[in-house]
Amino acid sequence: MSTTLDGLVGSEQGVPFALLDEESKREIRRALLHAVAVPGHQVPFGSREMPVARGWGSGGLQVTLAIVGRDDTVKVIDQGDDEGVNAVNLRRLVVSSTGVEETSEVHEATIIQSRHRIPEDEMGENHVLVLQVPVPEPLRGVERDTRELSRMHAEADYSRMWVSLYEDIVRNGVITQSTGYPCLVNGRYVVATTPIPRWDIPRLHDASFLTLFGAGREKRVYAIPPHTTVEPLIFDDIPFEVETAEGASCRLCGSAESFLVSAPGDDDSWSCSDTAWCRRRRQK
Amino acid sequence: MNDPQRAVETAPAVLTVRGLGKAYGAVDDAVISRTGSDRGSARDPLSGSIIAAWDVSFDVAAGEALGIVGESGSGTSTVLRCIAGDVPATCGDVRMECHDGGTSNVLTADPSERRRMRVDKISVVYQDPAEGLSLGVTAGGNIADPLTAAGWRNFMAIRERARELLARTDVPLDRMDDIVRTFSGGMRQRVQIARALANNPSVILLDEPTTGLDASVAAGVLDLLRGLLEEMNMAAVVVSHDFSVIEMLTSRCIVMHHGRVVESTLTDQLLEDPHHPYSQRLVSAARA
Amino acid sequence: MGYAAARGGLTAIKNAERLVRHLRDHDPSDPVGTAQVTGRLRLLVDKVMGEAGMWDPDLAARALLQAEGDHIEATHLLRAYRSTLPRVAVALPVHADDMRLLRRIVPAFREPGGPQVLGRSTDYSARMLLADAHAARDGTAPLLTSVMGKNGTTTRLTATLRRLDLLVDRRRTDDPEPVDVTSAPPRPPAPRSARLSAMARAETGSLINQWYRNILGPDGYLHEVTLGEVRHGELPVTLRHPHTGNPVTIGHYRATEVEAVEDLDGAGEDRERFDVGFGMCLGHNERKAIAMANLDIACHRDGGATTLEQSILMTTDGLDSAGFLEHLKLPHYVTFRSMIDRKFAVREARLRATGSGTQ
Repeated sequence: MSTTLDGLVGSEQGVPFALLDEESKREIRRALLHAVAVPGHQVPFGSREMPVARGWGSGGLQVTLAIVGRDDTVKVIDQGDDEGVNAVNLRRLVVSSTGVEETSEVHEATIIQSRHRIPEDEMGENHVLVLQVPVPEPLRGVERDTRELSRMHAEADYSRMWVSLYEDIVRNGVITQSTGYPCLVNGRYVVATTPIPRWDIPRLHDASFLTLFGAGREKRVYAIPPHTTVEPLIFDDIPFEVETAEGASCRLCGSAESFLVSAPGDDDSWSCSDTAWCRRRRQK
Repeated sequence: MNDPQRAVETAPAVLTVRGLGKAYGAVDDAVISRTGSDRGSARDPLSGSIIAAWDVSFDVAAGEALGIVGESGSGTSTVLRCIAGDVPATCGDVRMECHDGGTSNVLTADPSERRRMRVDKISVVYQDPAEGLSLGVTAGGNIADPLTAAGWRNFMAIRERARELLARTDVPLDRMDDIVRTFSGGMRQRVQIARALANNPSVILLDEPTTGLDASVAAGVLDLLRGLLEEMNMAAVVVSHDFSVIEMLTSRCIVMHHGRVVESTLTDQLLEDPHHPYSQRLVSAARA
Repeated sequence: MGYAAARGGLTAIKNAERLVRHLRDHDPSDPVGTAQVTGRLRLLVDKVMGEAGMWDPDLAARALLQAEGDHIEATHLLRAYRSTLPRVAVALPVHADDMRLLRRIVPAFREPGGPQVLGRSTDYSARMLLADAHAARDGTAPLLTSVMGKNGTTTRLTATLRRLDLLVDRRRTDDPEPVDVTSAPPRPPAPRSARLSAMARAETGSLINQWYRNILGPDGYLHEVTLGEVRHGELPVTLRHPHTGNPVTIGHYRATEVEAVEDLDGAGEDRERFDVGFGMCLGHNERKAIAMANLDIACHRDGGATTLEQSILMTTDGLDSAGFLEHLKLPHYVTFRSMIDRKFAVREARLRATGSGTQ
């Protein structure tokens, strides 16, 4: 039935720079500008189907592809690891569709796309952190109806979140929220901090880098512009606890000041989740 | 109508209601003239419109409780819900001292502003505690809700305030950390009252607060409410079909029938000398 | 500058890809071309095109072959391809009556206006697994037989009902252009055209399940409709000529259309009349179009009272649901590490509480 499209499949002219056609990229950039202008506000966008599945970083990928230029250098990590299978796949897609440089070094990168982590290294104004977001709605645990959710955000009506934290402490003695800790951005919107660990949350506050959040499946982007307040929702008299393991250090580099991952119950297996950071420490 | 303005207002009003109306379906003067107490129905036989409440006016001063009495379906709860903002009113003017100092009509405030007023200015106690509480949340958590909405951010201070309120409403403190679903009806109602008081509202609206409770439990809740209304300088509106509730809690009241106010008077006078035939029927039924 | 592949992750991925290609393309059986797929697996191709929101049987067949028959994967390939294409034009609207009918069923009337056309269907055949599915090659093509209705012209059941004043009139002007759900994600409350577009692209099984759980399941927002029209046929794609401005038909596609008649029995509904739900999707996919039509009217009657619309708009897309489900296979050891940390924190808090009494 169709003959004209055949020539396009796989041909040079058929795959534009950064995969998406220019109109799509402009649309995503417009949504991102909106997101930067209203920090923490979830902005709907016409999320395209990508060559990676929904839930596999399709949102982060669209954000990266919409902002990447020919002079950029990208770093892609998953769980802090440049070698994670999904990181490899996404990086290869970005690089092959743009021809930009790839790196595992934060100081060389201009765009860092990440799932579940913020790199340990210092980042500055020259960095854009793109976080892949599986569930952009921080209030979903207390409300399911999207109409009510919009109302709650519009009116900054977050008391039910506070009640859930109160109930958590009453029931469990601590706040049991592990990753993706809800944070108030710029004193206005509560956001889902992807699921990054609590360890990374303080890094978002008053950061000198721009953080862009892309949720492809749920078709939302949001942003934390540089030097914006990011406060985890926590009572004044309850400490915000980051992940700790007493006496643990990386078995490779000896670090005790980075986010460590391990096999449960095996005390000797701790290692840095940020593999590039760990490798550089070992080389020094 | 029987001299509706018989009662004399003494203190300045904190809550002023003028010409409040709620209609389901189209409404015009003709529909109004075909409905109401003297027509024997709130439903217009021609258009099918239901005039749930119409031309309702009253004032309530600080520290005063006004009763709205009538059989279920007479429009009493509708009036209350229109004031609270649960149901949009068709017409009317409602002013509260706590809202713009009483200079603007609460009914035309935007919905988010009205919801904000519910945090610390107006509280409602519903007949069904499930409407005013989250049953899956602890008693303390239900009180933490309005407190955190009002900006409380200190966990121990919230606990302390919840304890204080639950003690005042006679909820055993060892139940504070139990979810409300495990509570009896009477105790749920006490938690709902405690929650309603959390931010010291200037207006409290009580919708059949003891209906559905066992007589002895209801008497306890009534005692509690009377004490609270006396000590906390709130303007209260109490809706009830039960004269014993009206008698115990209010000094003035209005009687509603088929969506209209048929009598407005001092509670004592109503019970001794009801003027409107419907009021007379109600009183004699209550005395029987 | 550069990226140092340290642990062979890339090599492992490349090998996995090679294994797929090798085992698929070097199977000892005869290779299958797209012509075989479009010719013999027509309904599968149609389903994929419908869920992809893209009419191109050849590409759909190619996607199915590449995906080893996984229709969700094939849909993904088509949609991802579509993302790279610019939108060159918007076709002129077509009237559903312009459909060249290949099949038409009117369950509501014995003798509807116009023919009942059974067309190509196994609906009324015994489902017996044949020893050789290709044995019945007798060479002569059967005719497209139709059972004539009352007269020659095809009159929609809804037109008949409208003539009898048995149909509520809810034609409206506030949703004139169909919402493009691919460029603006719809959230409740959404215009009807957004709901219809979302359902047209929905995963077929998901829509069937949505229908069935609302008939039998805990939600129960639906009741059964009477089908007024079930149609399958061919429609034109018409564009305005860039120079002359005249409409030019540039191709055809097949679609399934359903009108579902709903008995109105709710308080406040017009008990003297019926209402109608509409379903339409690319290709021949009657299950989908029927579920869609029933959900369309159910959603209208629901009027936002429940979260039915949210379910329809946000939970029926095959790529969304399958992708999110499968993302659980990705590494989650950072999140899991954080969860373990909280388990120990709760345990410590319990110990503290029992040791020193509660606060």
